[in-house]
Amino acid sequence: MTTRRIPTARLGLGLIKYQKGRYAANVFAWASIWVMPMIPALITKAFFDRITGEQTAGFDVPTLVWLVVVYAFGRITVMFLGMWNDAHLMFRIATLMRRNMLERIFELPGAQSMKESPGEAISRFRDDVDENVESFSWTVDMIGLFVFTGLAIWILVGIDGLLTALVFGPSIAVVYLAAIARHRIKKYREASREATGRITEALGETFGSVQAIKVAGAEKPMIAHFRMLNDRRRSAAIKDKVLTAMLESLFWNTINIGTGIILIVAASSMRSGEFTVGEFAVFVYFLGFVTDAGFFLGLFIARYQQAAVSFGRMVALMGDDAPPLRLVEPVPLHLTGEIQPPDVVPPHLAPLETLEVRDLTFHYPASDDGIDDVSFAVPAGSFTVITGRVGAGKTTLLRAILGLVKPQRGEVLWNGEVVEEPAEFFIPPRSAYTPQVPRLFSMSLMENLLMGRLDHETEVQSALASAVMEPDVDAMPEGLATLVGPMGVRLSGGQVQRSATARMFVRRPDLLVFDDVSSALDVETERVLWERLFRERSGVTSLVVSHRHPALQRADQIVVMHQGRVAAIGRLNDLLATSPEFRALWEGEAE
Amino acid sequence: MIPVRAYWRLLKKYLRPLRARVVLLAVLLFTGIAFQVANPQLIRAFIDGAQEGQDISRLLSYAAIFILLAVGHQALSVLSTYFAEQVGWTATNEMRAELAEHLLELDMSFHKTKTPGELIERIDGDVTTLSNFFSAFVIHVVGNAVLLASVIFLMWREHPLIGIGMTVFALVAGVLMIGLQAVAIPWWREVRGKRAEFFGFLGEQLGGTEDIRANGAVPYMMHRFTLLHREWLPLEVRGRWGFSMLWATSIAVYVFGLALVFGMGSRLLTAGTITIGSVYLVFHYTELIRHPIDQIRTQMEDLQKAGAGIARVEELFAARTQLPETGTGRLPTGPLALEFDGVTFAYRDDASDGESVLDGVDLAMEPGRVLGLLGRTGSGKSTMARLVTRLYDPTNGVIRVGGSDLRDIERDDRRARVGMVTQEVQLFRATVRDNLTFFDSSVDDDHIWQVLLELGLGDWVQGLPDGLDAMLESGSGGLSAGQAQLLAFARIFLRDPGLVILDEASSRLDPATEVLIERAVDRLLTDRTGIVIAHRLATVDRADDILILERGRVVEHGPREALAADPESRFATLLRTGMEELLA
Repeated sequence: MTTRRIPTARLGLGLIKYQKGRYAANVFAWASIWVMPMIPALITKAFFDRITGEQTAGFDVPTLVWLVVVYAFGRITVMFLGMWNDAHLMFRIATLMRRNMLERIFELPGAQSMKESPGEAISRFRDDVDENVESFSWTVDMIGLFVFTGLAIWILVGIDGLLTALVFGPSIAVVYLAAIARHRIKKYREASREATGRITEALGETFGSVQAIKVAGAEKPMIAHFRMLNDRRRSAAIKDKVLTAMLESLFWNTINIGTGIILIVAASSMRSGEFTVGEFAVFVYFLGFVTDAGFFLGLFIARYQQAAVSFGRMVALMGDDAPPLRLVEPVPLHLTGEIQPPDVVPPHLAPLETLEVRDLTFHYPASDDGIDDVSFAVPAGSFTVITGRVGAGKTTLLRAILGLVKPQRGEVLWNGEVVEEPAEFFIPPRSAYTPQVPRLFSMSLMENLLMGRLDHETEVQSALASAVMEPDVDAMPEGLATLVGPMGVRLSGGQVQRSATARMFVRRPDLLVFDDVSSALDVETERVLWERLFRERSGVTSLVVSHRHPALQRADQIVVMHQGRVAAIGRLNDLLATSPEFRALWEGEAE
Repeated sequence: MIPVRAYWRLLKKYLRPLRARVVLLAVLLFTGIAFQVANPQLIRAFIDGAQEGQDISRLLSYAAIFILLAVGHQALSVLSTYFAEQVGWTATNEMRAELAEHLLELDMSFHKTKTPGELIERIDGDVTTLSNFFSAFVIHVVGNAVLLASVIFLMWREHPLIGIGMTVFALVAGVLMIGLQAVAIPWWREVRGKRAEFFGFLGEQLGGTEDIRANGAVPYMMHRFTLLHREWLPLEVRGRWGFSMLWATSIAVYVFGLALVFGMGSRLLTAGTITIGSVYLVFHYTELIRHPIDQIRTQMEDLQKAGAGIARVEELFAARTQLPETGTGRLPTGPLALEFDGVTFAYRDDASDGESVLDGVDLAMEPGRVLGLLGRTGSGKSTMARLVTRLYDPTNGVIRVGGSDLRDIERDDRRARVGMVTQEVQLFRATVRDNLTFFDSSVDDDHIWQVLLELGLGDWVQGLPDGLDAMLESGSGGLSAGQAQLLAFARIFLRDPGLVILDEASSRLDPATEVLIERAVDRLLTDRTGIVIAHRLATVDRADDILILERGRVVEHGPREALAADPESRFATLLRTGMEELLA
């Protein structure tokens, strides 16, 4: 990971600026909510002073009771308003960060958009955003807390300066330290979470290979191993829980010992009546609040450091080229009001005449895999097949052309003009693409095919027909409305492949790019697919990875890849005569 | 309601060995509560003493005892937490292990219907709710209830009026908070549901960037992002509203308590019934019991949720295997004979239609012979292998190994002497050694090395950074299909069976690995009876006999050379036309 400096404060300020009005309202509401408990403290003091006869002037007891009730109404009202405002503010901030991250990830080259695994990336969208929103929300509380603590100490010093210093000095320090020490808990919690991870992993592996374990008669040692992992988790979890309990105890002890100190120090002055019961009640009351404030401050500081880490993780997710402030860049969120569905197909300006690839070179970081100096041309309306052994660079070549990876060298020309931003350029209506393992999303099959296109039913039907997908759709209980994708009906690999092919047809692009449909389709279906493609969409240009005979036989040109380089280009009969690499592939497929 | 009885039924077996610690826990807990309740009494004595002008040393000793009890209470509460967690985890760990063992014992018809993810959720997720149940229930519910009861009792002792006031106070606070919580919880559940939906959406987006980018669907997906958030916002605001209500109740309850103290305190003090110290005591206790009410409230939801988990765990414990292991017979040493006698088999589970997969299969193999098993996908080849390893019992007919009915042979002996290598090799995220021995630490390293060298894996393992201790990744282990199969061979060799079933890897291997596999298969089949489900011509060459299955029936069976020489035979036709379709 790169060690980039993360301007935490500037990012935080960016968020405040984004929601100035709501933030100001929040500061006002929460400062009030924090400061208001001052009132019952003073009322309590007045009550005890009154009933002990310390004070005969001022409010009588029934008035005090009314005052308390009025206070409760006031605080509850402010709290409801503050909470409502806070919910809106925090939600918008979280949405902004998530939106900016997702938009940025979509801008990156599609096939290498993230270094992180999807699971790790989701944790940044969820846990890191939550963490930062929480810290952000606390900035407001801190303001209220400072005002409250200041006022409380001012009142207490007015009663007894020495006692205040004796009681509150140590308690704030201790509790502050305790709060800082909380990040240790995080370490224990992580250890405990990791131990749990090992357990679920072991269970998953065990029950994923029940058959092998049964055949090998390995139940006993497997369970012994599981017990060992369980024991490890137990000690990690106990450490976590006990440390949490100890810190909580430390907090209460500080209050208790503080109360004890008040008792000891005030013993003689209380006896002589200099220190009243009312004053004692106020001291004990504030002791709780001020200790709370110290604890909160410590937590906030730990939080602030954590926020820096979270910001760092989110910025890293957006790739090395993104400026950190991109994360908080103000964009409209459209959370309320009218919204328009997006028009996903921009107007078509330059229909394909030729597509040319020149000296295209790409290697995956820290790997020999890739392509070197690949050049060839695809005339409009032609059927070009890329073939080669496993690992020859076929998929990488397609990705490099489409901008799904960022080539180190070489260029792609559309009608003779260099394509500057291939990732922005190679989208419908110019081109569409079906990866080797296409993804469908958890939406209806119809929505998966359209993905935002506003299209007529008849055209969807014709796309399905061309993709040899009609009979499958007819067999589905709810037809095109069937929910597919990870949370929907489970489709076979071939059905996914053909749905993705139909998705491509729906977009009616000039250039169709298929990556190895044969991996999921049987020979017969693949043959029908090509046949229909030629019959029904004859004008379209196709760039196809395949090693199957029906595709190779129809090809206007075949590009043979070998170890990342073009080994030969030509038609079937020429290649069979001239290219030993191609002959080997052709015959291998026949067997 | 809180499912205390179901919980107790399930866990008492595991708590019994921990009896001593449970008793100790109870003692710690109750002592702690006694300290906590006694403390405000000291403050009362102090205040009254100070008002009456008692001796200063007396006042100081009250203060000292106060501090002592307070610190003591905290120490006890940390200790209680430790013991509660210790007991909870120890008991549930035992339960997890027994549940996992029980489930492993169940036959394949059970496992066919359960995904590993589901079992993880049962064994770890549901059992963990039991563990939380234990500590949460003991510490928070029982502990706080006792605290609440003792405070109210002490109030009654001060004065009946105060007792009544305090009882009403606790009841009102409890009912209000629990009632509001019942309203607010479903709101939060909806927020969580929406959150889960969004992150599910996001996961799919992040995994499908290639499809989305190259098909121009970015604006559409961002649009869906917005739509999801538009649905989420009002739920979030409403959820916060629920939280506000609880907080508001907490403020209101506090004020109610304060008003109660003010009203009753001043009346009784004026009447001379109680002292000023007692007024402070009541004030202090009102503060003290707010906390337990809150704690019981927050625990309620979790404890109720545990009910469903407890029921599911009980259900799993009740599942019984359909393959009882009652055999006591032993198998002879050396290569084993194998016999299928009129074997018919149908899968009997929800996922199958009950159609016979094997239909009257007869087969007799002499010890040491090698049978090449051919047939299309679904013809019953793998089912035959599963019956020989007794993952299932035949519906009709008998399978005999080494002359005795497979069901009469003792389990461990059968497993040691009948081995199988499947196409898909599952590896664990563990060391090479543990992967070979299935975590059995009694297998010594010399034996492992001997096997590895014999299979030609010696150089590879020696080349790994930690040798036998090198970690492999889960699934395919970061290995090629060929290497994974070689490891599976090594697993078998370590046990030296007399009958092996080999389902050869059908994926294409690189030439170097292919040579190693060929050699390993040769070794494996030497001096053993073998059934080979073949995907390559070279492997069929090795068979003594050939058996061709079609829809669960034997359509051809005989010595390989005789069949190859007979131009009418299916086998000879296969050899002539290439075997692609039959070797799928």
